[in-house]
Amino acid sequence: DRQTLVAVLQFLRRSNLRESEEILRREARLLGDDLGGSVATVATSSPGVAAVAAVPPGKGEARGHCGVGSSSRREPRAVGSPRAARSLGGSLSCAVVVEDQPDVSAVLSAYNQQGDPTLYEEYYSGLKHFIECSLDCHRAELSQLFYPLFVHMYLELVYNQHESEAKSFFERFHGDQECYYQDDLRVLSSLTKKEHMKGNETMLDFRTSKFVLRISRDSYQLLKRHLQEKQNNQIWNIVQEHLYIDIFDGMPRSKQQIDAMVGSLAGEAKREANKAKVFFGLLKEPEFDVPLDDEDEEGENEEGKPKKKKPKKDNVGSKSKKQDPNAPPQNRIPLPELKDSDKLDKVMNMKEAARRVRLGPECLPSICFYTFLNAYQGLTAVDITDDSSMIVGGFADSTVRVWSVTPKKLRSVKTAADLSLIDKESDDVLERIMDEKTASELKILYGHSGPVYGTSFSPDRNYLLSCSEDGTVRLWSLQTFTCLVGYKGHNYPVWDTQFSPYGYYFVSGGHDRVARLWATDHYQPLRIFAGHLADVTCTRFHPNSNYIATGSADRTIRLWDVLNGNCVRIFTGHKGPIHSLAFSPNGRFLATGATDGRVLLWDIGHGLMVGELKGHTDTIYALRFSRDGEILASGSMDNTVRLWDAVKAFEDLETDDFTTATGHINLPENSQDLLLGTYMTKSTPVVHLHFTRRNLLLAAGAYSSQ
Amino acid sequence: MEAAKMASPKSAPKDAQVMAQILKDMGITEYEPRVINQMLEFAYRYVTTILEDAKIYSSHAKKSSVDADDVRLAIQCRTDQSFTSPPPRDFLLDIARQKNQTPLPLIKPYSGPRLPPDRYCLTAPNYRLKSLQKKVSSTAGRITVPRLSVGAVSSRPSTPTLGTPSAQTVSVSAKVGAPVSLAGQRFTVQIPSSQPAGKSGTPSTPTVQNVLINPSLIGPKNILITTNMVPPGAAGDSNPLKRKHEDDDDYDAL
Repeated sequence: DRQTLVAVLQFLRRSNLRESEEILRREARLLGDDLGGSVATVATSSPGVAAVAAVPPGKGEARGHCGVGSSSRREPRAVGSPRAARSLGGSLSCAVVVEDQPDVSAVLSAYNQQGDPTLYEEYYSGLKHFIECSLDCHRAELSQLFYPLFVHMYLELVYNQHESEAKSFFERFHGDQECYYQDDLRVLSSLTKKEHMKGNETMLDFRTSKFVLRISRDSYQLLKRHLQEKQNNQIWNIVQEHLYIDIFDGMPRSKQQIDAMVGSLAGEAKREANKAKVFFGLLKEPEFDVPLDDEDEEGENEEGKPKKKKPKKDNVGSKSKKQDPNAPPQNRIPLPELKDSDKLDKVMNMKEAARRVRLGPECLPSICFYTFLNAYQGLTAVDITDDSSMIVGGFADSTVRVWSVTPKKLRSVKTAADLSLIDKESDDVLERIMDEKTASELKILYGHSGPVYGTSFSPDRNYLLSCSEDGTVRLWSLQTFTCLVGYKGHNYPVWDTQFSPYGYYFVSGGHDRVARLWATDHYQPLRIFAGHLADVTCTRFHPNSNYIATGSADRTIRLWDVLNGNCVRIFTGHKGPIHSLAFSPNGRFLATGATDGRVLLWDIGHGLMVGELKGHTDTIYALRFSRDGEILASGSMDNTVRLWDAVKAFEDLETDDFTTATGHINLPENSQDLLLGTYMTKSTPVVHLHFTRRNLLLAAGAYSSQ
Repeated sequence: MEAAKMASPKSAPKDAQVMAQILKDMGITEYEPRVINQMLEFAYRYVTTILEDAKIYSSHAKKSSVDADDVRLAIQCRTDQSFTSPPPRDFLLDIARQKNQTPLPLIKPYSGPRLPPDRYCLTAPNYRLKSLQKKVSSTAGRITVPRLSVGAVSSRPSTPTLGTPSAQTVSVSAKVGAPVSLAGQRFTVQIPSSQPAGKSGTPSTPTVQNVLINPSLIGPKNILITTNMVPPGAAGDSNPLKRKHEDDDDYDAL
């Protein structure tokens, strides 16, 4: 450290940055004793220093996230001295000099690295040898280092244009990596020149962000002791620069536990990323009297039950008057008021809910499958309204087609000419404004200029959203069947969109790695959720509309707060891009499905993985909880629908502080017990699942003749 | 996807074999045979575009032949133009931070369909009216051009509305001959009836409603509604809203 300090001073002098040099010299003299002290304690590797060493990399990343532009980009080769000067300047304004040291030493060590491309293979194989000879209990944890080190070293070689060394490095070591990283390695193998990296935003982000590893303190001591020996200093520098090691006190994790949690492009999630309080409770439904229909009552009382004369109170929302401590305040985010039509809808909903079938392991739902024929592999998105009256399909030929599922045909409002002719005072004016002449079961909506990748009905069934490869999200009116607005913001394909459960807001996520929150009456997004390293492939609202879950091709799921745009949870563990998300109806749990064929269950409040459902053999594109949360249905490209017992999966959870702190997940191998049924389709991948209000399961997919 | 039906190695041209090898290296095992043709076509198109651009640059620099610098410049310009990549992460974090600082706007209650301002919607009519070529006989007055007003409420695409020719609306100056750009604008077309029996000069506001135009009903053809103007003096007592048979002649379907 002392040496690097002297080197920096010389650097500054050479670049004529006299003032910075002076300031550094002054402060360095203050730290002179500390420097000596820290050098001494490194040998004894006391926990205090380890903590200090671990903290600055984190702080460095935090600063990067704060947007202090100079220190966030690591381009060691190009502008060494201005960067050192700027990081010094930045640190002076922060007035924390200790923070400075790793930045500077990292910069300088990178300078040193430049001369040693041929030695990279030696460093790596040396580390490999060390880890393989270590104790069993530590080996699993330390093996986590292989993948990020391999990728970072390879990218370093490519970026510094040592193409042949990069190629031989890759050849030699890519076979050692875990099987779930194979897709990434394939992409890497095609990146051999610096120009290739420029177009690949995901790899650039990977280079500039820190890969997070969670290692127990004992394993970390072992590693540090080994790496700080003279000959291994280079690897130590690389570790410090590119990895963030989140240390926890406790027993080292087993390979199984680690395998459950790793897999994402950015490593695991830091513990502090999952510490924020999340209001996962549901909003209180407004209480209002249900007007009893006499005819209805007579129909229901055929068996001779006594008639209830009192109006029933709406107690769907909450049984008690007390505020749920986990629920957000009603006015945390502005929500649209309930219109009369919405109230009528709620009454219908409650009536249907009364007739709902109680599902369980003994009472499985019936499944009704809607097959799209003659779609020629063009069906790319499906949605069904909440009351199951309409189904929409988005297609690769850029059309959006709406069908009526009930015998009632789709009608649009009459033209202006005809509207002037109707009698406006009549009672059934709302029927008269509908045009009978053009009523049909199918309406086709034209407007997009690329395949339609996501569709979503609004809860009041007045609007339809569709998002497409042309980068726009379109709002269609379901009363006139015309396009109302095109929301432009993503300039790249938009992969998914969804209306909020209360309407008015909607979220979209796309290739530009961000998700955006819009309101129908603003032409620009209200919130931008940035943080993923790769495309956002799936976006869902929480039932209380205060949080948004996004699944991404970087194999993580993030939960964002609508109020301030912060990322409140990061869930890692999938080994492939995530394609489906489902919140449980009580808002506490999240189920996710990805290309690896597993469904993972997460506890949102604690931020932990609580279950893993194995069984599917191909990408899971559809996930849905039943109306009361007893059954989880999953549909996949392997042409099956599987039903899982959600009640059993979520009972007896170990979610205490120990688990949160250490990440010691002990997932029971109970996928077989939880599987209630597997239903095969005739070579039709399942693209969408929907439970009707009475708990009948509807599924949709396009027949593919193979 | 159908299983790859690759031409046998002996008969496939070398470029096609290269493409097949690329697909194999990237781990893609199932693909339609058209994919190779598409890749070949893309490669040919890309290379010719770059070389043509390079030729232009080298002739601009008055060089005798195209050299590597020209090609490099051509590649760079094309990349910035066609093959853009999404913004970098720190930029996104920055704009996200800015956007997320403003609080969520309050929602006004009872405000009807919540849509952005009309300029940002696609609800305006996407047609225009052109003046009538032939004159209608009787009153044979001056044919004045239809006056278009901006910013007033909607019009009906298929029925000429009546209004007084009196200056009730602000006309868009000198634009009628030129094609009017309709994107994001709303027009009221006020066309006095073609009947000699017009109305007396009392102004009567056309019944306008805030009706969403349904241009899709017009269909793919552009129906230009021609108008026939009568001089202000002529008055009529016919029902202004009743369609006349003569109007059918006025519909020029293109």
